[in-house]
Amino acid sequence: MEPHLDLKEVCKRFERVVAVDMLSFAVPRGAIYGLLGPNGAGKTTTIRMIMRIALPDAGTILLNGVPMDDDARERIGYLPEERGLYRKMKVAEHLAFLAEVRGLARPEARSRSKAWLERLGLAEKANAKVEELSKGMQQKLQFAGAVIHDPEMVIFDEPFTGLDPIATRQFKDEIVAMSARGTTVVFSTHVLPQAEELCDHLCLINRGRPILQGLLADVRARYATRALKLTSPASDAEISAAPGVAAVRTKNGTRIAELAPDAVASSVIRELAARVPLEAIEPFVDSLEDIFLKAVEADHVALE
Amino acid sequence: MLRWNKVATVIRREYLARVKTKAFWISTALVPLFMVAMMVGPTLLMARAGGRFTVALVSGNDKISRGVASELERQEKAKEKVSDLAITLRIEPLAADAAAQRSKLKREVLDKRLNAVLIIHDDVLASSKAEYLSNNLTAIRLISRLESAVQKVVVRERLIGAGIAGERTAELTRGVDLQTIQLGKNGEEGAGSFIQSFFLSYIFMFIIWFTMMIYGMYVMRGVIEEKSSRIVEVIVANLRPYELMVGKIFGIGAVGLTQYAIWVLVAMNFAIPGLIGLSLGMGNAPVLSPVVLAFFLLFFVLGYILYSTFYAAMGAAFNSEEEAQQMQGILSMFMAVPFVLMMPVMNNPDSTLSVVLSLIPPFAPVLFFLRMTIQMPPVWQIVLCLVLLIATIFLVARVAAAVYRVGILMYGKKPTLREIVQWARSS
Repeated sequence: MEPHLDLKEVCKRFERVVAVDMLSFAVPRGAIYGLLGPNGAGKTTTIRMIMRIALPDAGTILLNGVPMDDDARERIGYLPEERGLYRKMKVAEHLAFLAEVRGLARPEARSRSKAWLERLGLAEKANAKVEELSKGMQQKLQFAGAVIHDPEMVIFDEPFTGLDPIATRQFKDEIVAMSARGTTVVFSTHVLPQAEELCDHLCLINRGRPILQGLLADVRARYATRALKLTSPASDAEISAAPGVAAVRTKNGTRIAELAPDAVASSVIRELAARVPLEAIEPFVDSLEDIFLKAVEADHVALE
Repeated sequence: MLRWNKVATVIRREYLARVKTKAFWISTALVPLFMVAMMVGPTLLMARAGGRFTVALVSGNDKISRGVASELERQEKAKEKVSDLAITLRIEPLAADAAAQRSKLKREVLDKRLNAVLIIHDDVLASSKAEYLSNNLTAIRLISRLESAVQKVVVRERLIGAGIAGERTAELTRGVDLQTIQLGKNGEEGAGSFIQSFFLSYIFMFIIWFTMMIYGMYVMRGVIEEKSSRIVEVIVANLRPYELMVGKIFGIGAVGLTQYAIWVLVAMNFAIPGLIGLSLGMGNAPVLSPVVLAFFLLFFVLGYILYSTFYAAMGAAFNSEEEAQQMQGILSMFMAVPFVLMMPVMNNPDSTLSVVLSLIPPFAPVLFFLRMTIQMPPVWQIVLCLVLLIATIFLVARVAAAVYRVGILMYGKKPTLREIVQWARSS
């Protein structure tokens, strides 16, 4: 199936810094796509190029198979990283203004903005000025303003920064609901546990280049080290002496026995149980963060 | 292409966001007060630049001394209007040692016991020589009162010397009242004077200029605020920078028109006849014809659009008002040029120089309109002027739109040449 959004060998250079270097990735229709990477990796530049705020030096960006232009851009709901509002406007009027700018007729803009304010718990602030809102509330308003016209695709640049856990949960629920309605969601974050929870596809960028991409499940299967998490009074040496154990490390107080490439987990567990006292043992899956840290490290080593 | 429904949304927002503020209503109330104070204040101050003056009159000719004293008294009685100018005359006969007397009186002036010393030479009838000594030569009304009194007395004495009876002298020295008549296109005669025409032209010119500047600055500030509040990127997907710019210019322009409408309505009801009468110190002030008033509105709108487009581009190119200030200074200087050229144009509104200057688009809103208030220029000039002005507006708008498009989304860093070229090619 044709990807909804397709970037092909996109490059962007600022003065002497290469921000994005031959970046290609495809966002399938209906996906929740995570654009991940450390600070300064080029995520925001990439998004700004998709939104035609910056123009790529080379490469193409296609939406529905057609090169992106100002008209195509109108079909994307966009929440920028550097986002603002008119501080002196009233909350409800502001949201209605954004809705109208996005192409809704006035009555529709008003009724939708009312509905969104209720949904986000801002109904009693409808007549307050924007500047009277807390930062989190302003962010909710911006979020609603980005999606109020039901675009076919939404792009959020670091949507969760500065949000408390309750608001974060609310945003995530909205994103999942949007995706369920068929909207394609692209978002960037450097907080990987959030991505892990939310996205089904991802692209990890480092120094402007993709280093991992695809379905979350595939990335996991391909890059996760196979290991066992265990609790035992035995020493590291005793544990690593068991056949099939490649190495033992301790991470956040848990001991992890990494498996040798050809080892079978169930037989290693039996071996260990026979050799050392075990209080608990279970298969261990690397978090996305671990995978990425390794990938980023490997990328840096490769460059040096 | 401009999508007018989107532009209308921006216009409405810009308009309401400003009209709904207290600041709008406060400035609507205060600006006329300020303008009236600026216009009427100096006139009133001039009229009232009275006070008490003590002047020593030194003359060897007793007849002249007494003559001047009584003439001043007569003037004071005759002109109630200026009765607040009180002159106390201290008559001093010319001393034997004139030099010593002179330096003593000088001392008194410097010690502020005297305001001035008036020395009428003995041979004044022949030589016409008199001296006025003071540390303040700007007390124009005092000087002109003294001068006219001395003049009258000297002329009278000369007439008497020529053998004319004393009682006839008053009649013979009566002044001439020169009446100035403004000729209309078809030779009809209207009341008016240089001062009146000058004031009227000046006031309307000032309004156009003032408005272009103030509202242009509002536009610039709005653009900079928009940049610093980071709202542009939020709406950029659905609103092109050009549409945002046009919406902003028209929205703020509509605010300006609203403000003027309020002022005109209030003024028509009670203020203006009184004010103009007061400021010009006379009754039947000339009134601009409806045609000129219509052109006033037209030039006002076109001038505003031209300059606010400049200002919008400037706001987009800079990140803060401080940064923009330097350029803004240059623009303000440019805008002040018509004021420098005002006098030559007024003196001879139909000279080649005046015509050429008034057709130059950036000066046209002020100078061409100025010519209209004096004498309606030929139709071909009006058409040419409007065509040039409107063409310039479109040209400036195109350039401004390019600057705007690149500048409005650049925070903290100036757009590089490469980026500008990139955008120019993509659009």
